[in-house]
Amino acid sequence: MSRYGFRGLAAGRRLLLEVAVIGAAAMAIGLTVNYGMVMNAFSGKTVATPVVSPSQPEEVRFPDPVEMDEVRELLVDGALLIDARHQDDYRKAHIAGAVSLPLGTITEQLASFQAQVAKDRTLVAYCNGFGCPDSFDLGIILLKNGFQDVLVFEGGFPEWRDAGLPIEGEGQ
Amino acid sequence: MKTLRLVLFHASRLLLGSTFVYAGLIKADDPVAFAGQVANYQLLPYAWNYLVAAILPWLELICGALLILNRWVRPATLILGLLNLVFMVALVSLIVRGIDIDCGCFRPDAEVKTSPLAALWRDAGLMVLVVLVWVLDRRKNRQESAHG
Repeated sequence: MSRYGFRGLAAGRRLLLEVAVIGAAAMAIGLTVNYGMVMNAFSGKTVATPVVSPSQPEEVRFPDPVEMDEVRELLVDGALLIDARHQDDYRKAHIAGAVSLPLGTITEQLASFQAQVAKDRTLVAYCNGFGCPDSFDLGIILLKNGFQDVLVFEGGFPEWRDAGLPIEGEGQ
Repeated sequence: MKTLRLVLFHASRLLLGSTFVYAGLIKADDPVAFAGQVANYQLLPYAWNYLVAAILPWLELICGALLILNRWVRPATLILGLLNLVFMVALVSLIVRGIDIDCGCFRPDAEVKTSPLAALWRDAGLMVLVVLVWVLDRRKNRQESAHG
């Protein structure tokens, strides 16, 4: 092999090594910084950080996450979808069949909701997709107030709408 | 001509580097929201969206910083070029499947939505910068080794 051939091979190896070092560094930092998030995601626990007031007791129950396909099956089995977004958003468009229970008005609406919905019914809360904590916070409140089976659909309204599944509302 | 090439190289390197540092910083600041954007592409299983959201921003950040610092320019450019290619394929898949979501390229909670097509054009522009940095860096190295 010519002198230039050896040089090219060595340069290629060095480039691959440097690429590997950068990739390893990004993985090490990313996984260290986001260890909890990744572990929760892979163990099927909730990922979004719910807003829990310091006055709440230590043994807070968190709602489990469900994916879109599971939500569809749960709806067939009689689950109730709860829209945790603002009332205006719900009016414009929401997942077909969902009831509105905005996190901001839960204090006023909780009593009437408890009166209308059986405590053992499966409830699936959603809001504006990943990163939106309202459905988690609502789920915590519902679990704390006696509802036994509360789940959170993390993909929420955007994932459902983008999948072309049925939605309803004034804007539709 | 040589000076012009040198100016073009450094300008492209700094622009590409700062773009990815900015994109990486924003995503690293809110990885859960970014995971949501990745999930909206409907390409990966549930948990993998979080794995991508944990690592990708740091890869962009490190490569962008290396370009700004003018260190390890070739591997950083190669990684950013490959990432950009993956982004473009993902955006094309959105267009083909008729999914109209915000691309999630920069701010996960962006009020102004960037459509997949607009994001594709922007990525094409970034790809031009990647090619410029790659080609001009090689020329620069050849000239330096020829003189050395």
